[in-house]
Amino acid sequence: MKVRDRWHRWEAIGAAAVFVVFDDPDLIRRTMLADLDVEALPFDVLVDRSRETYARWGLTRARWSTIWLDPNVYRTYARLLRSGVPLRSGGTDVLQLGGDFVLGPDGRVVCSRPQRRDDRPPVGELLRAARGSVEGSG
Amino acid sequence: MPEAPRVGELAPELRLPDLQGRASSIRDLRGRPVLVTFLRHAG
Repeated sequence: MKVRDRWHRWEAIGAAAVFVVFDDPDLIRRTMLADLDVEALPFDVLVDRSRETYARWGLTRARWSTIWLDPNVYRTYARLLRSGVPLRSGGTDVLQLGGDFVLGPDGRVVCSRPQRRDDRPPVGELLRAARGSVEGSG
Repeated sequence: MPEAPRVGELAPELRLPDLQGRASSIRDLRGRPVLVTFLRHAG
């Protein structure tokens, strides 16, 4: 999680973060959060096993070809391998797409980036949106 | 299938259990900017 690595920048603007996952909580603890104290995380990790909330936020499953014929997927794997990060199981459904949204203090969306393939916006773009929502509400 | 929320719209409700099973809602975070990230998978 790049956001985790830059958490101090989110804290500096008073932002909160919520990560939503759909895999089994035990799998999440063993993989994504393996090196962390779950009780001391500075952000929430919420579980949507039915994926009803994913659907309500417009997040669909990709086609097989959208994921596995995307060269970005293989570039990501190569980068992880070069950096010594062990590849892990892809969880229960590698075709489910995610998304990043930034909400302003009033609960309105100030940045909406649902995934259409294995793409994620740069963390800096999300931070700028969050910072702008604070400056705009002052 | 609903569309993803657009810029300027109120975010849909998001109320789910956390890893310990405690219910949590983004409404409780009003008053501050919130990053909501839906992850693709646990890998």
